[in-house]
Amino acid sequence: MEDDAGAVVGGRGYLLVVDDNEINRDILSRHLERQGHTVAVAENGRQALEMVSTHPFDLVLLDVMMPEMDGYRVLERLKGDEAWRDIPVIMISALDEIDSVVRCIELGAEDYLPKPFDPVLLRARIGACLEKKRLRDQEVEYLRSVARVTAAATAVEAGEFEPESLADVARRTDGLGRLARVFQRMAREVYAREERLKRQVHELRIELSQARQARQVAEITETDYFRQLQAEAQNLRDILEGTSE
Amino acid sequence: MAKIISVHSFRGGTGKSNITANVATLLAVEGRRVGVIDTDIQSPGIHVLFGLAGEEIGHALNDYLWGRCEIEQAAHNVTPNLGTDANGRVFLIPSSIRAGEITRVLREGYDAQLLTRGLRSLIEALKLDVLLIDTHPGLNEETLLSIVISHVLAVILRPDQQDYEGTGVTVEVARHLKVPHMVLIVNKVPTIFDTAAVKAKVEQAYHCPVAAVLPHSEEVMALASAGIFALRYPDHPVTSALQRAAASLVG
Repeated sequence: MEDDAGAVVGGRGYLLVVDDNEINRDILSRHLERQGHTVAVAENGRQALEMVSTHPFDLVLLDVMMPEMDGYRVLERLKGDEAWRDIPVIMISALDEIDSVVRCIELGAEDYLPKPFDPVLLRARIGACLEKKRLRDQEVEYLRSVARVTAAATAVEAGEFEPESLADVARRTDGLGRLARVFQRMAREVYAREERLKRQVHELRIELSQARQARQVAEITETDYFRQLQAEAQNLRDILEGTSE
Repeated sequence: MAKIISVHSFRGGTGKSNITANVATLLAVEGRRVGVIDTDIQSPGIHVLFGLAGEEIGHALNDYLWGRCEIEQAAHNVTPNLGTDANGRVFLIPSSIRAGEITRVLREGYDAQLLTRGLRSLIEALKLDVLLIDTHPGLNEETLLSIVISHVLAVILRPDQQDYEGTGVTVEVARHLKVPHMVLIVNKVPTIFDTAAVKAKVEQAYHCPVAAVLPHSEEVMALASAGIFALRYPDHPVTSALQRAAASLVG
């Protein structure tokens, strides 16, 4: 069993083995545990779905032929559900079931493993699957973070932005994290400025010094030009109305 | 008789020319024949908003005042420059941008009766429904004259302590001149301000109706003098406020 040892490509994962055959289940589980993975087992399709709904598995190893609910139906259910779609599934099948393997791949299975298990092949395929899953998880997390930032922009426009809503994204060490931090800071600054302005408008007082205003008005109304204009005002209006030439 | 409306502000930078050009355009779109006369001889500028380059100005108001042409000859039909299917017309009587012309007016002033007769000729010759006078900021002699001959005085101010006192002086002086109708237009109001509250406070402070409160707008700043805002942004809140202002001025 030396082949089971060594570094695990794609890291260690939380795996679910689904097989109605107890011996197969045990052999496979032991192989996987020796490779450093954490393994849970299900005896049939129904039980597998129940476990998937309550545990965050990184990978499902699924036997095709099972009573009650066979591997195809479990696979369809997994791939048809938004929350489970991204969990990779490796089908377990006998070598003479190649047609069913094709069908499973078409339904969305990641790969297949022929029985009896070859430890080297087992490790390689599981490693590749987990690596893909890891990258996919990163991508999903990135897109989720992007969505948080765009949602924050909408919230800013609606005047409902809470800087804390970006706290997780702001902890990222990449460019998106920096964007979130800058966004938070700018939003805080704008908010603070708006608060100041709000206070100002609350206190908006139009203070007019009556004395100073009267003095300024007098400076204009007491000029010769102004008096002349006042005297001539009616005449000018008459010119406009056409009642005087 | 055409309605003569002076658009004035005590300080510069209130957006006076911009509001004048937009109001003129909105009234023309409604089918009115509108004259716009730039009496800001010291610092003319409204021609730019109507897409008229300085060198395209043939005769200007200055030429009429020095007896070099009839006032109608200084009227430029800028309606085609608006790029819209206005049923009405906008005629602009620009001031000369030539430095010599500007200093001459400042040095010699001009005859109040001559300008007044010119306005009458203009209204008759162009069959104007409305004549808007874009004045020089402050309260110089030409501005006082335009207030005297106006049916309506619109004073533009910003919600800024710098504008409050000067606006108070302008309103008071206009009352001395018995202008028949006076309104205030508050421009560049921060969007976070409640416009109804601003309107109420301004009306209370000056005992004068507020025709419109125009929110500050990045779009207005960005367009600057490159065109008529109300045509470029027909659904913008600033355009709605300009429409209210236009309706109030001719109402």
